[in-house]
Amino acid sequence: MNGILLWFSEFGASFAESFEKNLIRQDRWLSLLRGLGMTVELTVGAILLGTVLGILLCLMKLSSVKPLSAFAKGYIRVFRGTPLVVQLLIIYFGVFGSIQALRFVPKEVAAIVAFGLNSGAYIAELLRGGIVSVDQGQVEAGRSLGLSSWQTMRYIVLPQGIKIAFPTYTQEFIVLIKETAIAGYIALEDLTKKGDIIRSRTFSPWLPLLTVAVIYLVITTALEIIFGRVERRLRESDNR
Amino acid sequence: MTTDSIIEVRGLVKKFGEVEVLRGITENVRRGEVVAIIGPSGSGKSTFLRCLNLLEQPTEGSVIIDGVDITDRRTNINKLRQEMGMVFQHFNLFPHLKVIDNITLAPVKLKLEKDKTHARETAMRLLERVGLGDKAESYPVQLSGGQKQRIAIARALAMNPKIMLFDEPTSALDPEMVGEVLKVMADLAKEGMTMVIVTHEMGFAREVADRVLFMDGGIIAEQGPPEKLFSDPQNSRTKEFLSKVL
Repeated sequence: MNGILLWFSEFGASFAESFEKNLIRQDRWLSLLRGLGMTVELTVGAILLGTVLGILLCLMKLSSVKPLSAFAKGYIRVFRGTPLVVQLLIIYFGVFGSIQALRFVPKEVAAIVAFGLNSGAYIAELLRGGIVSVDQGQVEAGRSLGLSSWQTMRYIVLPQGIKIAFPTYTQEFIVLIKETAIAGYIALEDLTKKGDIIRSRTFSPWLPLLTVAVIYLVITTALEIIFGRVERRLRESDNR
Repeated sequence: MTTDSIIEVRGLVKKFGEVEVLRGITENVRRGEVVAIIGPSGSGKSTFLRCLNLLEQPTEGSVIIDGVDITDRRTNINKLRQEMGMVFQHFNLFPHLKVIDNITLAPVKLKLEKDKTHARETAMRLLERVGLGDKAESYPVQLSGGQKQRIAIARALAMNPKIMLFDEPTSALDPEMVGEVLKVMADLAKEGMTMVIVTHEMGFAREVADRVLFMDGGIIAEQGPPEKLFSDPQNSRTKEFLSKVL
């Protein structure tokens, strides 16, 4: 009994020490917070770019104009078929690094572009999945009323398709938050990178990285709850 | 050819790949006429109806609606479809919109109504007419099949069409709901609407239709006024079909 208590008190003391060293000293918590800010910036930027791009690519892929659908198909294949890290490196060192006009664009912009271009491919596909699962009868009803094919898409098919695709879309958002953790590859100091920097300074293998993991977990869990609520609101018209 | 034809179909052929579903149909529908199309499944009834508003593109032949050849590439088909309401077997109400918005969507977007308020007034009038004035704020999923189909009719009528096309409007309904839909359709016929109805309701065809077309194997095998066609069919296929369904 005494042994256990002793272990706990020793553990408590060493935890407090580690906590002070890894999070309090030199305002390291603030550094993590700045990293979190970068993670949020990258994620929000990428989801915005990805969504706009995804909608365009999706409409292109569904279009009957051959070159448009062929382009969208190729784009989606390339961006879903290669590792995101490789895309990030190519876009940062290749595109932004070698084109003179882009040389002095901030790093985070390059990262947002890379994550956004990648996310656009996934969003296009999940959106397309939603759209094609809308019953063809809906299109016929719209067209038979005299609506153009674009109006039918805009007012009848898209709202229903988006609703079907919404849960997958929110999943993409959550995936994106975690994927931005590779931003350290181009020396961007996001949450993960900041945690790793602390680890390399304090030589503590556990606390900095666990703190980072917990922060991700809190954010993704909170988002799941929020998105779940929105989803229920969207289902309003399905309820008897 | 009478000048009073609102629908003129000339040599209509429709193929799906190698399969010839319509094998040359020539037929007129007069203004204000109610035409019922009957026949075994697979005979091309629905395809014929869907060619009338170009939901199916005819392979050959022409369809002339109120003097305009709709198979002509230069024809504005969206404009023409506004004048032809269509009611589907599976209702095809827009599930994401309330009943009232189902009805007002097209008139508002196509600027048929001055503004949303006017469109709503028209919609409410139509809802009263099909006996569903209290359902304006409901979503389609909250309605019975019969109610959905009556809403679908109101939605088509909101475009103020000259012609109404019905594609087996009661086939997906529970038996006890068939009557309420047929009543709305009979009222419409009485008001002088031109109607083309693909149906399995022989009693309804007999009572309401001015003329019945019997289709079989992609052609109109026989046609005539209902009392004649039902009681004294000439074609052997018609006789066989009627003996099964009556």
